[in-house]
Amino acid sequence: MAKVVSRKESFWDRFYIPALLIGLSVTLKHFFRSLVLGKTKTIQYPEVKREYSQRFRGRHFISIDQNKIENCTSCYLCQTVCPAECITIVAEERDPAQNPYGVAKEKKPLSFDIDALRCCFCGMCEEACPKDAIKLSRDYELATLNRDEAMYDLNYLKREVKGRG
Amino acid sequence: MSETAPKPTITLDGKCIPFEPGDTIMRAAERANLDSDIPRFCYHPGLPVAGTCRMCTVEIEKSPKLMTSCSTPATDGMIVHTQSPKVRQSRAGVMEFLLINHPLDCPVCDQAGECSLQNYNYEYGPGTSEFKEQKRIFEKAETKKLSERLTLNMNRCVHCERCVRFTESVTKTNELLMNHRGWKKELTTALEEGVFNEYQGNIADICPVGAITFNDFRFKKRVWFLKPKETICDGCSKGCSVFADEEKNIVHRYRARENKAVNGHWICDAGRVSFHRRQEPQRVVEPLLRPTGSTGLVASNWLTVLPWFAKAIAEAKKILFVLGTDTTIEEAKALQHDFPQATFRMLNGIDGINTSKDDAPVDQLLRRKDQTPNTRGLEELGFTALDGGETGYELAIYFKSGRAAARSKKLAAIEVAWGVWFSPEITDFTAVIPGLSHLEKRGSFTNCDGITQSFVPAVTPLGMASSVEKVLHALNAKSRSQSKEALHVPL
Ligand code: SF4
Ligand code: SF4
Ligand code: SF4
Ligand code: SF4
Repeated sequence: MAKVVSRKESFWDRFYIPALLIGLSVTLKHFFRSLVLGKTKTIQYPEVKREYSQRFRGRHFISIDQNKIENCTSCYLCQTVCPAECITIVAEERDPAQNPYGVAKEKKPLSFDIDALRCCFCGMCEEACPKDAIKLSRDYELATLNRDEAMYDLNYLKREVKGRG
Repeated sequence: MSETAPKPTITLDGKCIPFEPGDTIMRAAERANLDSDIPRFCYHPGLPVAGTCRMCTVEIEKSPKLMTSCSTPATDGMIVHTQSPKVRQSRAGVMEFLLINHPLDCPVCDQAGECSLQNYNYEYGPGTSEFKEQKRIFEKAETKKLSERLTLNMNRCVHCERCVRFTESVTKTNELLMNHRGWKKELTTALEEGVFNEYQGNIADICPVGAITFNDFRFKKRVWFLKPKETICDGCSKGCSVFADEEKNIVHRYRARENKAVNGHWICDAGRVSFHRRQEPQRVVEPLLRPTGSTGLVASNWLTVLPWFAKAIAEAKKILFVLGTDTTIEEAKALQHDFPQATFRMLNGIDGINTSKDDAPVDQLLRRKDQTPNTRGLEELGFTALDGGETGYELAIYFKSGRAAARSKKLAAIEVAWGVWFSPEITDFTAVIPGLSHLEKRGSFTNCDGITQSFVPAVTPLGMASSVEKVLHALNAKSRSQSKEALHVPL
């Protein structure tokens, strides 16, 4: 059995002006604080960019040495560990004539592709890498105009990234 | 009293196992399939015993010292422990010594994943090292080509000398030897020309670490991605047992598979790389047909080629089937069954070999002159070789499995090549039907010694290539009812 409850409102309950004034005062307070005192919580994106924590996991890159040669030795550990299966590596032997490092860098990636659309940014690749080669940068602007741009190849991954690397 | 004496036994980790007189403890354990508990570097069932690595030591009751199981003869009533604390402590010691100078470059090392040193270190190693000094480095031999086919990285060597013993006792070519002693001990080639035997790939197989690697596979794939499929090699009439290691329908290497009756533990190098033939870019994987009045072949499809083929077969009064000696026994029987009106001949066509009588060993080990796998099998089915006296045929069909359709003269007005790979002469044919590589087939071959071996597909067909059964089925369906709809496209 439904019970009928009376919801009768008094005159003051229905008189809305005081509540409206209270609300407006909050708005005016923030209006005054941001316009006159310049205290804002928002940032002027994209002119101003948010600083993320050092541990933020964004777009991948492969670290390079002083000769701009990738540190990756194509061990396939990142490809093995990646839960999203988005890394595809093809390895080859570095031309001995152009290899000042000898045995330390005799194996190199011929191609190294990351499908960023599949990546879940777990960072396991970074953790698995024995050469500190693959890393996740703090770059979080990953939108692209077409799908092809979200396939990162070796050339792109070797770009210089400031801050980490 | 004619009771046969009971077989002598040893007790291995509490299990009583029989052995043959003359067996070592390792051999007895192998016979009982219990040898996986005994780690080893230098011991290999196909090589003479050296007893140098000290990894296979076991504890024998009433013996004060640990004994190497690979060289200690088993005696009746012996009680052996392979996992006692003393044994494990000794193995940890051996591992620590081996790892003192080991570069631990597993990320670049191709052996990682199937490396005895890695596996035993997980199992028995101490996990830490007391060694703080500079590791020994063989600067000249950090990467050294032992030959066109082998690469040596001496830093990774554990001095088991399997490689040396292989060239000494299996190929008897003695190209490899150890120089110096102690920690300077270095593997070198005896002569300038390096390793030259035709079985080098086995050295890379038996090297327990990544010191010697096979160039054809080097850096191609990490082994943990590969799935080993049991098959046989079709490189010559020996038919050696191999593992075809495959990933995503691409075969990446062959490895020898033990088969005492055929190849023992080894395979030859030509056979080891023969899997490439399946994946060559020049392989025909779609039907090709010559349009009337044209000279070249154009790519076609099954829906066009099968009706054409059925019509050609129905119209021809005399059909000649030339079966390459790489045809499986089952394919030959099926073709013979479905074309009772046709004449069948077999064709080897490589190096002037026609019948299995022309076949002979190339060396003391495995290789044979006949580079096709089933000459003997076809002979036993009663096929005779193409002798040049064949005339008056209207349709000639060359059936092959990946080899060129070698033929000296045109045998019929219409010639069809079935299952050939690209070779210059296929442009002379009227049509080319894509066939399967033996890696994609199910069937059997009879080898030079009369041993019939069956195999199942290791990988699935590439492109539009299709099996004989499917093509025959489609052709039969076509002839049963003359409507085009009844044609099942074999895909
Ligand atoms: S971050 Fe995770 S999902 Fe993305 S590539 Fe690395 S391992 Fe794969
Ligand atoms: S884990 Fe590192 S070194 Fe190995 S393939 Fe990936 S990026 Fe290269
Ligand atoms: S030989 Fe074995 S332990 Fe040594 S680097 Fe290669 S995989 Fe690692
Ligand atoms: S190269 Fe390999 S097989 Fe030869 S001694 Fe060294 S570890 Fe043993």
